[in-house]
Amino acid sequence: MIIKSLKVINKMGIHARPAGAIVDITSRAQSEVFLIHGGTRANAKSILNVMMLAITPGSDVQFEISGPDEEDVFQKLEQLFNDRFNEEHYDP
Amino acid sequence: MTDSTKSTTTHNKHRLMLTGVPASPGYAMGLVQVLVNQEFSVSAEPILPERVPKEISLFHKAIRQSIRDLDIAKQNIQKSISKEDARILDAQMMILQDPMLIDTVLDDIRKEHLNARWAFHSRMKELINQFEQSSELIIRERSADLSDLYNRIMALLGESGPVMSMEGSKIEEGSVLIGHTLSPSHIVKLKQGQAVAFATDTGGRTSHVSILARALKIPAVAGLSDISVKAEAGDFMIVDGSNGLVIINPADSDIKKYHAKIEAFKRQEQELLTTRRLDPQTLDGKYVKLMANIELPMEADEVEAMGATGVGLYRSEFLFIQKGNPTCEEQLEAYRYIIHRLNPLTVTIRTLDAGGDKIIPELSATDEANPFMGWRSIRVCLDKVEIFKTQLRAILRAGEGCSNLRIMFPMISAVQEIQQSKRILNEVTEELINQGVQVPHVEVGIMIEVPAAVIMVDELAREVDFFSIGTNDLIQFTLAVDRSNERIANLFQPHHPAVLRMIHAVVLAAHREGITVSVCGEMVTEPLSTLLLVGLGIDELSMTPWNIMECKKFIRSISYEEARTTVHQVMSMPDAEEINRFLKKKYLQKISDLGISSFISTTDFNKNDRTLIKVKDHIVNLDVLE
Repeated sequence: MIIKSLKVINKMGIHARPAGAIVDITSRAQSEVFLIHGGTRANAKSILNVMMLAITPGSDVQFEISGPDEEDVFQKLEQLFNDRFNEEHYDP
Repeated sequence: MTDSTKSTTTHNKHRLMLTGVPASPGYAMGLVQVLVNQEFSVSAEPILPERVPKEISLFHKAIRQSIRDLDIAKQNIQKSISKEDARILDAQMMILQDPMLIDTVLDDIRKEHLNARWAFHSRMKELINQFEQSSELIIRERSADLSDLYNRIMALLGESGPVMSMEGSKIEEGSVLIGHTLSPSHIVKLKQGQAVAFATDTGGRTSHVSILARALKIPAVAGLSDISVKAEAGDFMIVDGSNGLVIINPADSDIKKYHAKIEAFKRQEQELLTTRRLDPQTLDGKYVKLMANIELPMEADEVEAMGATGVGLYRSEFLFIQKGNPTCEEQLEAYRYIIHRLNPLTVTIRTLDAGGDKIIPELSATDEANPFMGWRSIRVCLDKVEIFKTQLRAILRAGEGCSNLRIMFPMISAVQEIQQSKRILNEVTEELINQGVQVPHVEVGIMIEVPAAVIMVDELAREVDFFSIGTNDLIQFTLAVDRSNERIANLFQPHHPAVLRMIHAVVLAAHREGITVSVCGEMVTEPLSTLLLVGLGIDELSMTPWNIMECKKFIRSISYEEARTTVHQVMSMPDAEEINRFLKKKYLQKISDLGISSFISTTDFNKNDRTLIKVKDHIVNLDVLE
């Protein structure tokens, strides 16, 4: 199991589209993936759960991943966060 | 959608006009009654254990259907707007697959024996509340997406029971019923006189509700986007089902105008009904067969009542749009219903015409720069031979024991395509005969909608039993005018001399070979076009069923010889403007004397509908007819 932090650096935080992009990765993973924010631990394979965390821009979140592809899954998530969920083509 | 707001002296409320899709013709006015789906038909009453599997399968079906609908919407957005906006629909689709929602609903049905509507209703409302109460604006805003999903699924769960009866609900006599969606079960339970009109956010001309509304002769406008939000209970509203518009809190002048229209409509309706059994022939005895264009099997029910002598075009792709890639049995059932319902009247089944503006996610290419000239229609069928064969097998089996079947291949642009199609049809026929099926006699025809087919029309005429001219595409390709591009809508001219000469060439070649020619674009219902087509020698006109009676009335008022002379005169004119001026001058008086102008719709298509329904080509300027 790995637990690692990521920072949300996009402008709008994790609303529907970014949540969708996260679930796009986690739902394909063999590993269990949880997203921890503000003391709440949510199943990161559920888009509704991820959205309901209402993660604001600038937040630090933690992923708890356990399973055979945990490293690979985290790498993909890290890439997604660093790319600002691919939704902004400019710097805010 | 267009909004025009203006305050009136007699009402404190604002006058608001909205346009949608004309779903059922006629005019009506009355007080608004809003049907809110969840209050309308949700009951917490538990179901019997043996009903559980049925409710579970209804729920799965509704989810699958919604995902498919969203996927189609996404493909269309992707083409016209951006990938980014399409991603919001991805998120919606993911929500519908989210175990946190789906599994809890399924558990409620299985363990608590709740009906699917109630189980979904209570879980979803809980979620919507949570979203609405979030401290973050961005989450609060997303509650609208959830509400949208809620409405989608609830509408599709119409059969889930028990549904509250209408008896208890207090729908006043003479109400205008509005809602996000209306389900057929709502409508069939209405008492006569309770509803004078319907208006809905969703739906189109071929929604089940629209078909029912036409059968009940209740005017309806669909696809209004947000009428259920904009109109409130107790508002006074005019519904113009012929032109697809509604006026909320109309001015006195509107009311006066529509009272007159209602009177005129009633008179015409009576008159037209008397023409139902009359022959569609001109004053000098030229018989023009009038046929119906249909998109759903159940539309076959209205064909005879509307005075048609058969189906000139059944758009089979709508079955594919609904079902993905339907099995042979599913297709067989649909085709058999139409063929047997109408036997011995002719039924023309057009084989799959997918692509262009009719995207079938399981099948169509979605990344084409120029989909109308892309991988569509017969091109798809000749590539995916198994799909094509399955459809032909279903059609032939459906026609067993009948002699009224015609098969029509769309988008033929080369002789080799029809030869190849016929070869495949023959293969399927032989296979079926070997299996002991009594394969019926079938007439084979093609759509003429590509200019190349007109140039090659002599060769093509030798290959088939009939031609059907698809004016929508033929005009678009001949004039190089994209029919969905509003900026050049004025260039989309059905009476362009080039178009008329093309049609003329097709008629001449067909009659030389002794085969018939029909025209099946919506152009045929515009009286001036009808006149030209009759004068050009067209044998059959095929159109939306409800237009048939007025078309018949018009044909019975003209002389074939005179129409021929008119055609002869206009063929030498240089452009469509001059032709239209000439025609209006010569025939306007006749048309207005016949009193059919109020049936003519100038707002016959709608942005939302364009994605699914073949865009109608009603762009001839009819302003002077108003």
